[in-house]
Amino acid sequence: MSSILRFPSMRLLGCLHPQHHQHLLHPVLSRSVTQSEYRRPGKPREDKPPWQKINFSFSKGLDGIRKHLTLLKKEFLERWVGPQGKPILEHMLEQNRVVWEFRGPESLEQWTVSSDFEIGGQSEAYLKLGRNNTTCFLYGTLRSTPPKDGETRYSGYCSMRSKQPLASFDRKQHHDWTSFNTLHLRVRGDGRPWMINIAAETYFSHQKDDIYSYFLYTRGGPYWQEVKIPFSKFFLAHRGRVQDDQHPLWLDKINTIGFTLGDKADGPFQLEIDYIGVIKDYAHTEEFAYELYKRNPEV
Amino acid sequence: MKCTRCLLRLLGQSAYAAARPTRPSSLRSPQHDQAVRCFRGNKGSPVTAEFIGEDRTKMPVATRDPFTAEHKTKASFVEALQAFAKADVRRRGHVEFIYAALKKMPEFGVERDLAVYNQLLDVFPKEVFVPRNFIQRMFNHYPRQQECAVQLLEQMENYGVMPNVETKVLLVQIFGAKGHPMRKYQRIMYWFPKFKHANPFPIPHQLPEDPVDLARFSLKRIANDLDAKVTIYQMPCTDATESGHQISLPHIVGIQSPDQMELLGKHDPSRPVFVEGPFPLWLRKTCVHYYVLRAEPVPPGDKVEESFDPERCFYYPLQLDLDFDRDFGDLETFDVEDLDEGPVFAMCMTSQGDQATLNQWISGLQESNPILGQIPTVFRLQAGTRELRAETSREESPREESAAPEGPEVTEEARRHSN
Repeated sequence: MSSILRFPSMRLLGCLHPQHHQHLLHPVLSRSVTQSEYRRPGKPREDKPPWQKINFSFSKGLDGIRKHLTLLKKEFLERWVGPQGKPILEHMLEQNRVVWEFRGPESLEQWTVSSDFEIGGQSEAYLKLGRNNTTCFLYGTLRSTPPKDGETRYSGYCSMRSKQPLASFDRKQHHDWTSFNTLHLRVRGDGRPWMINIAAETYFSHQKDDIYSYFLYTRGGPYWQEVKIPFSKFFLAHRGRVQDDQHPLWLDKINTIGFTLGDKADGPFQLEIDYIGVIKDYAHTEEFAYELYKRNPEV
Repeated sequence: MKCTRCLLRLLGQSAYAAARPTRPSSLRSPQHDQAVRCFRGNKGSPVTAEFIGEDRTKMPVATRDPFTAEHKTKASFVEALQAFAKADVRRRGHVEFIYAALKKMPEFGVERDLAVYNQLLDVFPKEVFVPRNFIQRMFNHYPRQQECAVQLLEQMENYGVMPNVETKVLLVQIFGAKGHPMRKYQRIMYWFPKFKHANPFPIPHQLPEDPVDLARFSLKRIANDLDAKVTIYQMPCTDATESGHQISLPHIVGIQSPDQMELLGKHDPSRPVFVEGPFPLWLRKTCVHYYVLRAEPVPPGDKVEESFDPERCFYYPLQLDLDFDRDFGDLETFDVEDLDEGPVFAMCMTSQGDQATLNQWISGLQESNPILGQIPTVFRLQAGTRELRAETSREESPREESAAPEGPEVTEEARRHSN
């Protein structure tokens, strides 16, 4: 009850915990009810009507039809082989799966690179293929001077996020990692601490920015580094704020994975990734690394 | 918990005595003040209009920024805090003062000092903002002050300063046990210990000042081998030449492990080795650069399969030729083609990355690896910090001649030494 009276504009849905917006003590009355579009601070509101945003083109349309029909045919035929196009025994007993490997220019199409340039900062981030077209190379410069828009206080980040896998006709598809429990990466960084963000499919619209994160500490140097992070270590954060009510990451519908850097050290950075895979580690029995939430902890 | 309560009782008596009569902030209107006073019940002297007017004339007007000092040290910062606290027992304008202090902390160099944060938290008047009944607890009692304290704790969190029990006691005294600042404190105290030792390659906060020690630390870090030995080929020194000019010699620190020495010993002398660099390595906020001696990978046709010498180890066989019947459940490696990038033979760090200095490094390496005398060495140095591996030499050679001056300077020199 107390939460509703304190924030009169908050939704009454039970899933939204009042501690979500611990940093907001004054009610924001101008926010829309469903919280659908997050307006980045400093970005002006776009007033283009929806029909002006679509780009019509005949050849692009034909290519699109061909692509979607091929995907549709594949979907129909692959279920005769087994779940997700693999024989059932392979699907059940699989112990390692490579989810993303960077072996050609088309592998870079699955990733989106962003930095705080979008909110008015000065960091830059670029993605290209490494040596012999075999590894992905994320490089750029970080600058933590906040943009002068009056509301942003901290800045200086860059990130690389995978695109949501799409089925035929641009329907959302998810990664199914239920038979695995560890994330395995082969990276070569420059000593900077990165953060791995996994976004899973959510039901309520307020959970859209729920991200499960953990740290990726790079050693630096000319040698490759194999990083194994169990999924039980990922903690829940919403828009960068670690939540009180923690629960383990559900692996059945994973949307995207991302790497982000924001370690407040201005200067150039680089990260090379060879492949990203998932492992079923039989020796790992932990279900969740953080205690479940106690509503009113005593002082 | 007991100690907190005792401290609270001891300090509560003195703080409460100091805090009466209580007037929270000068920003509030007189009507609001009167309403608050009636709500609380009249404790102390009855308030009249003259009393308010009298207070107004006695209000100190801030004419100058309290944080201007010639020498910005912790002592002057603490002095400014104490001057503010002493000036007014009601601490008028403390919210703005604390925000200003938080902003000025990096200038004074105290942003990582827990004692200073506790003293800053002490500026809040005690027991005024503690909610006394369930209605006050419901309605976000003194929201501006709570937000200010939350921002203070957030700055502590940003700089990685872990609060202690004094912070907790202060927060309980100022805001009570259930306010937003206390919840923020509980969150910090929950998450910080969990992530404090999450880094498998920890870096100390105080890095060594001496460049040779820093080079030694970072080379040991990137060597990925505990058997690797660090060798200092040249200490930094300044020499005077015949013409009287001062030339400063840079330090050259190199590292090589026994495995790398073995690989270099097996390297084919007809293939060149490359000195590449500088590559960046970040240690918290400092960036150092290192150079690498490596060779190109042998093309698959020329690879020679080396069989293990069975007499190398008598305790267990190094090679087993058993044919296991393994199915999907036993596959432990990923189905990815192995990246072959060629062996790395040694790494070094130096403050001046030009060819002469690196030549000195190679000559120093030659003492422990005599085969270097017969191998041609190619220098691939780049002016700015670039990617870890240059493009393959075949792609790069036609581009090298036409490289623009602002582009990477790639100097090539084949050096052959005859023993």
